[in-house]
Amino acid sequence: MTLLIGCLALLVISVVLLGVFRDLLYAAVALALASVILSIVLFHFGANVAGAFELSVCAGLITVLFVSTVSLTKDSDQKDEARLPALFILPAVALFAGVAYFLVRWLAPSLPAPTAAQTVPFREVFWGLRMTDVLGQISLVLVGVFGLLAILRARSAEGHHD
Amino acid sequence: MTEPVAALFFTGLLLFMTGVYLLLGVRNLLRIVLAIEVLAKGTTLMLLGAGLFRGAMGLAQSLIVTFIVVETILAAVMLALVVVCQRTNSSLDIRLLSRLKG
Repeated sequence: MTLLIGCLALLVISVVLLGVFRDLLYAAVALALASVILSIVLFHFGANVAGAFELSVCAGLITVLFVSTVSLTKDSDQKDEARLPALFILPAVALFAGVAYFLVRWLAPSLPAPTAAQTVPFREVFWGLRMTDVLGQISLVLVGVFGLLAILRARSAEGHHD
Repeated sequence: MTEPVAALFFTGLLLFMTGVYLLLGVRNLLRIVLAIEVLAKGTTLMLLGAGLFRGAMGLAQSLIVTFIVVETILAAVMLALVVVCQRTNSSLDIRLLSRLKG
């Protein structure tokens, strides 16, 4: 329980740092740190596959994409960014913590009693019970690929025009 | 509700609300993508808490993996749009997107 509370506290701290940092590169690193801590939480509860996905995809791939985008759009208009959200993030997080505490306490009695633990392994759920989700995921990846192709093609066409 | 489940739901809700706060408070497109990622972290924690509560970790893991795929595709497409917007407007200010036509 101590490890879990420590990890969750670190997760909240890294998100607060993400909001406070003025430099987007530091903010991207804070997001990667949050992903690493979340994957530790996932491993802690035995969700090893989800933890490995979170670590490799969110902490790795998304951070690389983010850092690349920051370097491509460098020195645009970070100076004009409003500082109010960063200044008030600590009071806001304290307020949200109070709201979340009351929501959890309010919801807890109304939740139905948990059923007996279903020990169906992840492999059977993923490839058997939720096979259609895998097909959906494949189509999602294709949507992403074609979306990126359309966006980049539009840009290169614009370049040819000029 | 056991203590770990309550802690997961509490932190998930907290991250979700912080994500909404960051999303509404910023004008930089890259910061908006960051805020959406924070929302996604909160949702992942709540999915994990739900799986732990129902004792169905296999199903929760399956949903989390699906959600990570969705999150990654969303981030990739949004970041590509951010690069195009920056090249078009020379700015990352979301208010300038209202100039778009067609």
